[in-house]
Amino acid sequence: MLKRIIDLRVALTLAVTILYCANDFAANNWNVPVDKKTKNSYIKFDAASASQGEAIYNKNCASCHGNPGKGNSLKSLSPVPPDLSSAKTQELTDGELFYILSTGRMIMPSFKNVLSEDERWRVISFIRSSNKSYVQTLSKFDPNKSKLVKINLNFDPATHNIRILAIANEKSGVVALKDAEVALFAIRYFGRLQIGKSTKTDKDGMANFKFSKDLPGDKAGIVELVAKVNDENYGEIESVTKMKVGIPTDKPALNKDRAIWNVLAKAPIWIIVLYSFGVLVFVLVLLYLLNNLRKLKKTGDN
Amino acid sequence: MSEKEKKPRKKSRREFLQDLGIVGVGTLIGGSAIFAGINYDKRKKQAERVKVLTAENELLEIEKSDTTKVIKSKLENLTYLQKEGRDGIAGRRFVMVIDLSKCRNARKCMAACNNAHHLRPEQHHINVLKMQESHDTPAYYMPKPCQHCDNPPCVAVCPVDATFKRQDGIVLIDNERCIGCRFCIAACPYSARIFNWAEPIKSVEDEDLTYNVELNVPQRKGTVSKCLFSADRVREGKLPYCVSACPNGVYYFGDENEDTVTNGTTKETVRFKKLLEDNGGYTLMPELGTHPRVYYLPPKGKDYPFQDKDKPEAAEHLGNS
Amino acid sequence: MSDQLKTEKITTDLLRSIRLNKSFLIWMGFLGLAFLICFGAYGLQLKNGMVVTGLGDYVSWGMYISNFVFFVATSLIGMLISAALGLSGQKWAAPLARIAEIIALAFAAVAGLVIVMDMGRPERLLNVIIHGRIQSPIVWDMTVVTVYVLISTLFLYIPLIPDLKICYDRLDKLPPFARNIYKLLSLNWTGSPAQKKLIKQSTRVIAIFIIPVALAIHTVTSWLFANTSRVGWDSTIFGPYFVTGAFVAGSAAVIIAMYFYRKNYGLKDYITDYHFDKMGQLLVLVSLIYLYFTLNEYMVPAYKMKTSEALHLSALFTGIHAGLFWSVQLFGLVLPIILLLFKKMRKPLPMLFIALAVLIGAWFKRYIIVVPTQEHPYLPIQNVPLSFKIYTPTLVETLITIAPFILVLIIITVLSKVIPIISVHETIEQLEENNQKD
Repeated sequence: MLKRIIDLRVALTLAVTILYCANDFAANNWNVPVDKKTKNSYIKFDAASASQGEAIYNKNCASCHGNPGKGNSLKSLSPVPPDLSSAKTQELTDGELFYILSTGRMIMPSFKNVLSEDERWRVISFIRSSNKSYVQTLSKFDPNKSKLVKINLNFDPATHNIRILAIANEKSGVVALKDAEVALFAIRYFGRLQIGKSTKTDKDGMANFKFSKDLPGDKAGIVELVAKVNDENYGEIESVTKMKVGIPTDKPALNKDRAIWNVLAKAPIWIIVLYSFGVLVFVLVLLYLLNNLRKLKKTGDN
Repeated sequence: MSEKEKKPRKKSRREFLQDLGIVGVGTLIGGSAIFAGINYDKRKKQAERVKVLTAENELLEIEKSDTTKVIKSKLENLTYLQKEGRDGIAGRRFVMVIDLSKCRNARKCMAACNNAHHLRPEQHHINVLKMQESHDTPAYYMPKPCQHCDNPPCVAVCPVDATFKRQDGIVLIDNERCIGCRFCIAACPYSARIFNWAEPIKSVEDEDLTYNVELNVPQRKGTVSKCLFSADRVREGKLPYCVSACPNGVYYFGDENEDTVTNGTTKETVRFKKLLEDNGGYTLMPELGTHPRVYYLPPKGKDYPFQDKDKPEAAEHLGNS
Repeated sequence: MSDQLKTEKITTDLLRSIRLNKSFLIWMGFLGLAFLICFGAYGLQLKNGMVVTGLGDYVSWGMYISNFVFFVATSLIGMLISAALGLSGQKWAAPLARIAEIIALAFAAVAGLVIVMDMGRPERLLNVIIHGRIQSPIVWDMTVVTVYVLISTLFLYIPLIPDLKICYDRLDKLPPFARNIYKLLSLNWTGSPAQKKLIKQSTRVIAIFIIPVALAIHTVTSWLFANTSRVGWDSTIFGPYFVTGAFVAGSAAVIIAMYFYRKNYGLKDYITDYHFDKMGQLLVLVSLIYLYFTLNEYMVPAYKMKTSEALHLSALFTGIHAGLFWSVQLFGLVLPIILLLFKKMRKPLPMLFIALAVLIGAWFKRYIIVVPTQEHPYLPIQNVPLSFKIYTPTLVETLITIAPFILVLIIITVLSKVIPIISVHETIEQLEENNQKD
């Protein structure tokens, strides 16, 4: 009997361990494509980039991962987010870190549309800053190349489509950005609203986005749009354009109307009338009484 | 770390003062700068700079550490903050969406809020409640901030206009005016308001701070305090303290006029009405006609189990029947 | 000739109380000391904040607000006895009018202070005038309480003018400054027909005007609660419910005052068993109306037991407040009604005890209305200390709650030491009228 219980315990322990390991394995297995693994940063990981990265990290990552080296990541999450100064994280290549940060997985959100490529590299610079043995391999990519790129947005009112054209003005002539990743966003107060899905440019450097017909714009219907193009040769390029593609929106202030809850100047008329009337009647009665008392005294004088 | 930071800052202050001497106190940015402030993207890099009102009644942007030197009197600064705080942000209607299927009672929102507004541990601008409607319905966690109602019962009863609703929908409390009658606490059906029964927890440290009605700091003994939708952060285009502190993606915050809300954890921005439509969004106690600006998504397909230890508390009001 | 003697006797009897004596000084000394202790407690509250009370973020209105409602309620009796009964020709109530008015004035004036005691920031009281919002029931309340205090003062003062002249004429043993005050306040009263007419007109105007004001003051007080969407407060009958409850409390207060005046001031011939009998009947009448409203207030929601109401009602009927709730209904309302139906019980001494029970019951009735509702908000009370869930008043809070009672006693004592508490000239007039009839 006792033996059976012990057996059961062993079996249970084994099962739990296997499950746990499997879970752990799943958590570690990011399946980073080979070509992404070797990607390197074109930004030099120095004190400046690390400190810029820290600010971004604190805003976007710290709530789950905690502060590197402090071991204060959020333990209640499953899987527990690793401390990013840990060996397990630091063993990863820059490319792997960049991929993880960009795509996200399970409870880790994707930061592709939240942070620019620059910002993402700066965060990695910060993550690397605690690792003394780390030596950076700089990418040969020249970020200045992105300055050659011109992005044009074109709105077709008939189809409600926005067409994006990405070209580079090389010395040799105009080159269309083929097969580049394109995403379109509308700038909102707290972030960027992605329009449709990310897509790739065609051979002419063009991509089409269906624009919804009910997105509110400003008073004139103007929406600030961001086209983001990511090309292997030219890097990440953003272009901001204002276009009249939204619904003109001019909602009145919420405290515009007279209401019980509004300020005194915007009190409902009926309450002003009732209150003033009550006070007026009282003042009249009071005056009448005081006048009577005055008369009373006067009569007594004679 | 903090000492490291201090040194370069001193240097830059001297530089700044030199600049100020050259250009003169006339380095002024017009009133339109208020609206420029909304454009937070450009402002991101200038986190350490603040806008203040000079004695000459002009708006000036300076470095934060120099605030006290330029401002002639605290009172003028207070008046400016009060006015700005009462006006609110034109053209905006802020909304919050709380996804109950994501909440696992991590309480990071509560901690961030208490920290930002200098509250005692038992004081809650936002409170994560353990809820259960009846015996057979599931229990769930429900974060409950102020609902910032469009027909706010609390604001209606205030005798001195200390609590008020702004054009952007945010309901604030001015603790420089509050007389402490607590009528608003009695009137709020969501129990969203708290009172400073004793001296606030950081009253000594906060003594020299100018009161900011959008942050309600310093807190004052004998006055009411409440959730402010982090009006100070929102003015800078940042998400509220609780929203950005959540590790589970529970909160969305945004502008109803733009029909978009942004998730505080994933920073994902989505259409507001579609989010409600797709997930069966609702408001608390609609029968009271308060028209909340906080929307809830039902706790359907929860990402986590409701903790067994919390079950008795959730079912407390159900009795034994 | 006998008329002359009678008049003489009346005047002497009714003015006898106006003098300084030892028992008055001892009583005032006691009240003064007690008030100082209570005021010290308030000092503590000012210094440390309202943390000295048992209040919390959920039950944020406690004994102070119950007290406020009680004080406003009790002050309504001045209107009922002096104005409503007076205008409807109930002559028996005439000798009680001034007692009722003194009680009304004292309670109304102190009610204003009670609400200041409840404020977290009493030094900002002026904000109500500077930034007042007329949409707030508190502003209505402050307005009508002020109006009621002013009107009650005039209601006490104007019919008093002839008596002040009598005081000046007859109380020649008083120091000159005191007599001069009587003279000044009597406004050259000569008793001429023109003056009598002015007094009569003014009294009538006040008597009519004070009825809506008095109704307003307590209706508005009930709206402090009924204008919120809270379970137990969200009721359309709160106005009349509070007003009738006020008459119960006020009548009891008048009966208690009658007893002590009759005994201490030797007024057996003026406040007779007949008056007690009538007041007993009045108390039964108003109590029955109040019982009817109470039944409405609890029976209707208890029949339905809506989710939100059920917790609140079961706390009252069978829960932690059950003892208090049923005691209040039984000893403060049902038993007094039954007892007072017997003529034997409508004698001074039994009525004193019944009235005391009714008055204490009335105070706790306010507590029952104010506190339990807040212990059952719509959303559960969680993540707060236990003291926030169940309200337990502290000693300091109790002392501060007692302070207004002492203040009321001081005001009543002082007023009834400087003015005749039964109208001298009206009693004489009554006598003359009766003689003419014979």
